[in-house]
Amino acid sequence: MKKMAQTSQEIPIVDHNRNDGTLWLIKEKILLGLSPEEYKTMLKRNPVNWFLFVLLGVGIPLIIIRYLFGLDTVTHSSNDYPWGLFLGFGLFGMVPLSASGFLLGTTVEIFGRKDFVPIERLALLNGLLGYFFAVVYLEVDLGMPWRLPYPMFVSLGPAAVLFLVAWHVATYLSVQIAEILPAYFEWIGWLKGKRFIKSITIGLTIAGIILSTLHQGALGALFTYAPTKVHPLWLSTNFIWIHFFCSAIFAGLSMVIVVSTLCKRFMTWRCDERFLNNIDDLTVKLGKGCSYAIITYLVIKVVGIAHDNEWAYLLTGWGNYFMLEIAVGVILPFFLFTIGVKNYLPNLVRLAAFISVLGIIWNRLNTALIGFNWQLYQEVPRWQEVWVTCTIFAIYFMVYRFILYRLPILYEWKGDK
Amino acid sequence: MRSTLMATLSIMIMMAIGALYPNQSFALDAEDAPEVVELDALSDLYEPVTFDHAMHVDAAECVECHHHTTGQQPVDPNCLRCHATSEETDSISCGECHSAERFSPQDLKERSNPDLYHIDKPGLKGAYHLNCVGCHEEVDGPTGCQDCHAMTEKGKKQFQVSIVPPKAGSKKDAHE
Amino acid sequence: MKKLLNRRTFLKGSLAGSAAAVSVGRSQKAMAKDFEGYPESMGVLVDLSRCVGCRSCEAACNEEQNLPAPEKPFNDFSVFDEMHHGQKRRTDETRYTVVNRYDVPEIDHPLFRKIQCNHCQEPACLTSCFVNAYTKTPEGAVIYDASVCVGCRTCMVACPFYIPAFRYSSAFNPRIMKCIFCYDTRLKNGQPPACVEACPQEALTFGHRKELIRIGHQRIRENKDQYVDHIYGEHEAGGTAWMYLSPVDFEKVGFDTSVPKEPILNFVKDFLAIVPMVLTIWPALFAGIHLLATRKDGIKKQQQTEGETEK
Ligand code: SF4
Ligand code: SF4
Ligand code: SF4
Repeated sequence: MKKMAQTSQEIPIVDHNRNDGTLWLIKEKILLGLSPEEYKTMLKRNPVNWFLFVLLGVGIPLIIIRYLFGLDTVTHSSNDYPWGLFLGFGLFGMVPLSASGFLLGTTVEIFGRKDFVPIERLALLNGLLGYFFAVVYLEVDLGMPWRLPYPMFVSLGPAAVLFLVAWHVATYLSVQIAEILPAYFEWIGWLKGKRFIKSITIGLTIAGIILSTLHQGALGALFTYAPTKVHPLWLSTNFIWIHFFCSAIFAGLSMVIVVSTLCKRFMTWRCDERFLNNIDDLTVKLGKGCSYAIITYLVIKVVGIAHDNEWAYLLTGWGNYFMLEIAVGVILPFFLFTIGVKNYLPNLVRLAAFISVLGIIWNRLNTALIGFNWQLYQEVPRWQEVWVTCTIFAIYFMVYRFILYRLPILYEWKGDK
Repeated sequence: MRSTLMATLSIMIMMAIGALYPNQSFALDAEDAPEVVELDALSDLYEPVTFDHAMHVDAAECVECHHHTTGQQPVDPNCLRCHATSEETDSISCGECHSAERFSPQDLKERSNPDLYHIDKPGLKGAYHLNCVGCHEEVDGPTGCQDCHAMTEKGKKQFQVSIVPPKAGSKKDAHE
Repeated sequence: MKKLLNRRTFLKGSLAGSAAAVSVGRSQKAMAKDFEGYPESMGVLVDLSRCVGCRSCEAACNEEQNLPAPEKPFNDFSVFDEMHHGQKRRTDETRYTVVNRYDVPEIDHPLFRKIQCNHCQEPACLTSCFVNAYTKTPEGAVIYDASVCVGCRTCMVACPFYIPAFRYSSAFNPRIMKCIFCYDTRLKNGQPPACVEACPQEALTFGHRKELIRIGHQRIRENKDQYVDHIYGEHEAGGTAWMYLSPVDFEKVGFDTSVPKEPILNFVKDFLAIVPMVLTIWPALFAGIHLLATRKDGIKKQQQTEGETEK
């Protein structure tokens, strides 16, 4: 792609008009201005696509089997572990990584930090897709996926924490779609729509903050229903919602750093000057935010342990595992962030971000699966479950890439906007 | 009042430990007792039990099963508080005191009387089994269900005895 | 009952977002620990010292609830040796109740423990369900409506007794499978559930929950050395309709003694309490910050333009 982009000055598309002044058709925009044949060759040339092809080749049939013959064809269908990888990773892991949307939205729109604008849309898109795919994971996991709207419209159980999660994720998804729509409107060239969204941006952003605070916390609060099942080191019934919320802050920021790093490295042709010139600066600035959030998180983690007086647990095997998680997933990235920010080392910040993304996923898996039923036994997911989880993540990756290739996320639209 | 309650308690204990014979009334003297008793009031999933009363008379005192009703003095001090001087009762059949309709609304209502001491008196089926099985365990008598009564066709159906267990290790797909 | 309603209504209000911060004060009162449940509710007292492991209750339940045929007949006692991940048998999509054997050293014969839904006074399954699929009936049963269930299985996570099971095997008709106290067929009409009726040993005593507690304490008092002085379920998880007497420490016969003595919902209320606050305070807070932040911008812009014009 890189090469091809260089062969033609018209590509990548950044404007409604070709160099000769005629309009690009939507179809041409979708094919990135390439002919179908060229597009196919491009797809085939990329080894990543072959990997995805194999992954999906097995994964998609597995998903179909799951829908035709029941959940027990791909999971352990355990009554002791009602939630497996689909939720442990897909819901509890994806949602904090998608906090980026509301964080950068707040920074730019509410705090007026216009210097973050080059990365705002990437953060919004990251948020939208993360949430969307969390819902996809949920749809794979739900026993009756066709009843997804029930908690909204058919039978309401408003006193349940999950009710709040459902409503908030649903509303927040719409908010995020609205927030990302301007990019789409620019691309298809419907400026009226864009102007309308612009006029309600502040409202959307504030709605986003409220919804995010609550449902990020609510995901943690879901585990307060199981005070005897989740290991006490991972579950502080008083603080877990703050733990989840606070860790979502650096998780979301780290995820933007990771994604922007990947874009800068593998999608340079799609990035414009503004993005490329600012990205090191922004990475360091985001890293600063991360380091603040991460130290706050660490402190309230300790407060949680002290409050429930759980020091004794630290000396057990579980305690060692817990401290390993904290050391590798929290303290290590904290130091890397701090050093990276102090000495202006964007690449170190990137490394830190990468580690803390993994750290958060690890934390969520520990809470939802590994530390869950700690007094019973450990459930190891079946390979089918792992495969399906990876397959959906691959689809997430593909959709992400598809959008980044086209919409003005990493670049500014040159045409009317 | 409390002391009355406490005193009356004894009966209940004895009853819980003792089994009684249905539809038979006999005098204090064990010799007067029937040779065998057909226990059939509850038979449904199992055939009636032919109870060898004569044999059991040799193995236990009347009071051990009949509590105070035969006029023998109970052993449990708790029972004694009320039943030390209890006379032989008109009927000593189990079903006289132990309701075959245990847990019926009527039965529950009677028991909710706050002045009643014997709120925990077993029903007829409970009384039989608690007494028989309890003692049989101690003296190594038969304790398996079918050691005393064979299963009826209905019982076999409910216990689904025709099922052949799958080979070990094979996971059965649930249903539908 | 009124209290219960108050509390639910409150929570509804706060989570749905309409309640203002004022209701936080009310929440503390509404969530008081003294909720006693429906006064006339029924229950069952299970006496482990009476149970002989005959599995009649399992057989009766299977028939009453039209459950799928078991793997082994109900008079096959090899099931007591079955282990799954080091655990004894549990309820699943084919059985609402199971009896397990425990060999306890201090007693010369094995003990048996029947498990099924305990029909909590304030059920965790009910409070965690986001489509209100569960109902606690005035008779004491916790029943379930499969027609609204989404299959999220939060109720299974929430139940401290590991009771609800999911019909994973079905793609188009999955549902939660759980003991319903024979509500439809018996309890509603004042009859005891099928298992209780089937039990030869009267190890299962059916009655008003209040009475059962009296009976339980009497049994403990009058048979001094035969029972541990505790009725499991009198307070566990805020009180349950099914309660247990045991001749040995409860953890030795598989009971989870770490289950709190208060409703599971109490652990969730910290979070529930902040919901109305966030809903009311956040908009004002962030709108304010936005105004402040952009006012500076505005001033700067003004100064800049002024500066430029001066030049
Ligand atoms: S035992 Fe479990 S399933 Fe039954 S009512 Fe209580 S929480 Fe619900
Ligand atoms: S699985 Fe069904 S009953 Fe259980 S919480 Fe979810 S929606 Fe409610
Ligand atoms: S029927 Fe009664 S004695 Fe038999 S296993 Fe069930 S509870 Fe125990």
